[in-house]
Amino acid sequence: MNFVKLLESNRGIKVAAIAGTIAAILAAALQLISGGFVDSSNMIGVSFLLLTGLTLGWLGFYTLRLCKSVDSVANKLKDGSGYNEMNGPEVAAKLATVVNEYIQQGCEQADSLNQQINQLHIQIQLSNRQKQNTEAIIYSISDAVIVVDESDRLLMANEAAGKLFAFNHKKSQLIPIYELIQHDKKEFIEFIQKIRSTRARSKRHDLEFIEDDRLRVYDCRVSCVFDHRDMVCGVVAVLHDITREKEISQMKNDFVSHVSHELKTPLASITAYAEMLADGEADDEETRVEFYSIIQNQANRLNRLIEDILNTARIDSGLIKLDKQPVSLTVLIEEQLAMIRGFADEKNIEVVGQKPIIFDQVYVDRDMMAQVVVNLLSNAVKYTPAGGRVSIETEVDNNSDVVRVRVTDNGIGIPADDIDHVFDKFYRVGVNKKQARGTGLGLNLVKQIIEKLHNGKVFVTSKVGQGSTFGFELPIAAGEPVESSN
Amino acid sequence: MADKKVLVVDDEIHIVHVVTIKLRNNGYEVISASNGQEAFDLACVELPDIIVTDYQMPVMGGIEFIENLRANESTKDIPVVMLTARSFAVEDEQKESLDIAKCLSKPFSPKELLRDIEDILFHEAVTKQV
Repeated sequence: MNFVKLLESNRGIKVAAIAGTIAAILAAALQLISGGFVDSSNMIGVSFLLLTGLTLGWLGFYTLRLCKSVDSVANKLKDGSGYNEMNGPEVAAKLATVVNEYIQQGCEQADSLNQQINQLHIQIQLSNRQKQNTEAIIYSISDAVIVVDESDRLLMANEAAGKLFAFNHKKSQLIPIYELIQHDKKEFIEFIQKIRSTRARSKRHDLEFIEDDRLRVYDCRVSCVFDHRDMVCGVVAVLHDITREKEISQMKNDFVSHVSHELKTPLASITAYAEMLADGEADDEETRVEFYSIIQNQANRLNRLIEDILNTARIDSGLIKLDKQPVSLTVLIEEQLAMIRGFADEKNIEVVGQKPIIFDQVYVDRDMMAQVVVNLLSNAVKYTPAGGRVSIETEVDNNSDVVRVRVTDNGIGIPADDIDHVFDKFYRVGVNKKQARGTGLGLNLVKQIIEKLHNGKVFVTSKVGQGSTFGFELPIAAGEPVESSN
Repeated sequence: MADKKVLVVDDEIHIVHVVTIKLRNNGYEVISASNGQEAFDLACVELPDIIVTDYQMPVMGGIEFIENLRANESTKDIPVVMLTARSFAVEDEQKESLDIAKCLSKPFSPKELLRDIEDILFHEAVTKQV
């Protein structure tokens, strides 16, 4: 073995070792700069590069050390110092021992480094898979997600975010968000900047944007991301569309307010007239009878309202029990007309009943059907000005085996835009709200009872300023009539 | 307080009726309207001594009605009692800025309403004398 040549190559090994280490450190630094601090898989990649570089360096220096040891033995042999008393085989054995020890140490350390490299490799794969999973989750959720770096440059955005802020979420990386997001949504950028400057861990704020001429409300949650030095290195924002929740909440508040008002109004009459009777303010029998009658009518009104609310809740929950039986609609309508006439008389509205029909039986829950008829009649009276007219008629359609009931008024009518929604729960026709009060439950209950509970069908036609016709049809019940008209 | 004129405004005919009987039985002259617009027109002509109005009414509600009263020279000082079925419907600030003398929640007692009307009119009379 020519050790001098080995020595001559020492410089090359040294340079290779140093260069390998520096290259690894530079590569790691570049990786850090380009990938940012927020990515955990990037940190593992950096570790991998550093470890590889250090391995290269270590191998270089280890080889150098081995050469130096062998070189030292060779020099001693060459000048005769230290090995004078040894013969040839002993010197060779000594050299072999030195080389073997180094090789063994080198192999052990190389194995250890190999294991570490393998472990890092596995961690990189796991981390990449985790990153892919996280991205898949973020891209699949309907909430808008945006991640920016410490300079407000976009790092990641999902499709919902791209749609909300009108930018291409796949091709906008590293573009400052104030260049991507329109001026009318700058409140969002200001919120992100405020959260970063205050180093808040997490904050939420409702943001309102106009989209397609409609106000939409977003629950915006923004959190700062901190690096290992506890410096803010990015911000994550999640925007959840809460427009519907807000609308429902508003509807609930309006409903509670309306119901409270609707319940208190007849209650106010009942308590006031009762107090007048108790205080002897009704001098004569005629006045007392009038007061009793008002109390009775208002109590009935209160009962109808409570029944509307309870039956709506029962139908919604599926807990309603029906007692279906053959019922003559003619008889049932006559009874409800008597109930509604007091209310109609107060407004000087004429209520016209129907001509007797020989066979108009339907198989229904009698109480539920009574509620349908009274709701349609009271609705017609409510939206018809004083002096108007409300009529109810029943028609038997033998061709389709249905009984059809129509309630017609000459009231204020319903605008075309509202007509498709009049049976919706809580819906009240905007322009008619001032005309009369209500809960928005009555017509919805009619639809639920007819269509959901009795397989019938509701219908409505209307012209603004001329009046409306609300009605329903139900299958004719088979069999003999069980009731007769008066 | 006989001969004093009271304007009662409510779209609930039974409420107008019961308040009218209570006040007439106690010597008041009563006129009535079923909404804010009708009431404002009537108030401008009749110049009542006091007004009892509902909060929520068709065509024109109670608040808008009082705003119109306060903006009109001939009706701006007429004391107003408001009846409301909505709890906390009238904020204290609104009550003060519109100079609403008293707010009563429905259901209300006609006796209590009469007492409040008498108190307000008495206070008005004393203030005028001073």
